[in-house]
Amino acid sequence: MAQNKSFLEKHHFLLRRLHSLAGVVPIGVFLLFHLTTNASIVWGAINKGKFEGVHPGAATFQHEVGFIHSLPALILIEIFGLWLPIAFHSVLGVYYATTGKNNVAHYKYQGNWRYTLQRISGYIGVLFIFYHVATLRWHWTFLVPGGTKWSGEWAASTLAAAIQGSESGFTAMGVVVALFYMLGVSLLVFHLANGLWTAAITWGLTISEQAQKRWGYVCAAAGVGLMALAWSAVIGFATLDYEEARLAEERVRHGEVTIVTESQRADAGERE
Amino acid sequence: MSSKNDAKGKAANTRTVRFNIKRCDGPGQPSRWERFDVPVQSSSAGSGSANVISCLQWIAANPVTIEGRKTTPVSFDCGCLEEVCGACTMVINGQVRQSCSCLMDSCAPNDGDEVTLEPMSKFPVNRDLFVDRSRLFNDLERIRGWVPIDGTYDLGAGPRETPEQQQQRYKLSECMSCGCCLEACPQYTLEPDEKEWDHAFVGAAVISQTRYFNMHATGKELAKQRLDVMSGPGGVSDCGNAQNCVKVCPKEIPLTESIGSVGRQTTIHKIREFFMGR
Repeated sequence: MAQNKSFLEKHHFLLRRLHSLAGVVPIGVFLLFHLTTNASIVWGAINKGKFEGVHPGAATFQHEVGFIHSLPALILIEIFGLWLPIAFHSVLGVYYATTGKNNVAHYKYQGNWRYTLQRISGYIGVLFIFYHVATLRWHWTFLVPGGTKWSGEWAASTLAAAIQGSESGFTAMGVVVALFYMLGVSLLVFHLANGLWTAAITWGLTISEQAQKRWGYVCAAAGVGLMALAWSAVIGFATLDYEEARLAEERVRHGEVTIVTESQRADAGERE
Repeated sequence: MSSKNDAKGKAANTRTVRFNIKRCDGPGQPSRWERFDVPVQSSSAGSGSANVISCLQWIAANPVTIEGRKTTPVSFDCGCLEEVCGACTMVINGQVRQSCSCLMDSCAPNDGDEVTLEPMSKFPVNRDLFVDRSRLFNDLERIRGWVPIDGTYDLGAGPRETPEQQQQRYKLSECMSCGCCLEACPQYTLEPDEKEWDHAFVGAAVISQTRYFNMHATGKELAKQRLDVMSGPGGVSDCGNAQNCVKVCPKEIPLTESIGSVGRQTTIHKIREFFMGR
């Protein structure tokens, strides 16, 4: 323990700044892409494409997941781009959080509430991320009500079943899981938005009170936008019909549904 | 004279304020609560307004609890009595502030009002409301909170400063090391062990003094040493940005701006060090 402490003290500044940086890049950037992908369950319909009567959200989501799973060396991207940075940010974050002692009971300032919530959201966020990754990515199906195993081949339908608790709609435990998702993503979006605000002070980007206030509005706006994506995703999957999603996924795989992205349309335009 | 009978004999312009005081006989001793009823004259009586210090002086002269038990006078620290020395800082009704500028007419305007007094919780208690702020002064030494002008020869006139710089520094110079910002800070915690002081968080006051002396044309000479401390354990990066400091600062010093500024200075200091060596 004594040795541990001296390592932390020797690299105090570097670890503090890497902790701050990791929260923005890669974790913050990843969260933006992750939520955008997942929100496509609701916003997928705005894609231009022929959905042939299938659920446009489920088809788009399956299309996106198919693309991500086609990335080369995905496991390396996951380990070094996501799991290790998240573990680093979490372990150090929890350690740093324990060095403080919240006092909102006496000093009820808005900033102090955010300080406290930043730490609470960190604690619950770590648990949520662990549950989320362990159940869906590492297939710890004993933690999933109904035992659904998430599959990239059936990305939307199995996710809906895992969140709802069964393939045929909500079960009691499914409601608990769905609410935990709602809580988890909301706290994590807050954690990111507030973390962006504090990081700017930590690194010395915002110094004057006005600058801190202005950047605060930017972070709040980013938080509201991310929150909309996060809630869209959770509500979208919580209300998704398993069979309907199944049909969309099958059609996407057989190429019966075409999703035309902006860049593909541009390419097509050039060829013509 | 018994405090029980005081209420009956009080003049028309006098009200009774009950003080709940957290007491402690000495370092490491357990604390206990004692209550005192203090007669307070209304400011309309023409004798000036009472403050917490004058009430503590009354208790010192009449150290009898509401139960009628004689006790020792309550110890407290004070100096200037005009909110510029910081010595009389304590926790009044749960909030840290100077007791000299806590007027009874505003904090206990009515008969029967209660006032709770506690010593600051982030410093070791010497006795009752009197705490030992040595750690704060130790931290000011850590960051070399001075301008190095001692030498064997005349250094001549100092560099010129613009009025803008003077104004900015004047505001920072108003810090009286009272400890309010530290008491309200969730990251600054009690550390009675002197051996731990060199890596415990320094808090807003000391970060702001770092900025103050680094802005001074001659004080700048020690900027690197100050930034070494600020980027080490207990330095500015231990700040959690709750920003209570700036809210409770009695001198309205822009402490959070100082934290942002020293954050920037340490960032640049460390990046320079990374690429250019020490």
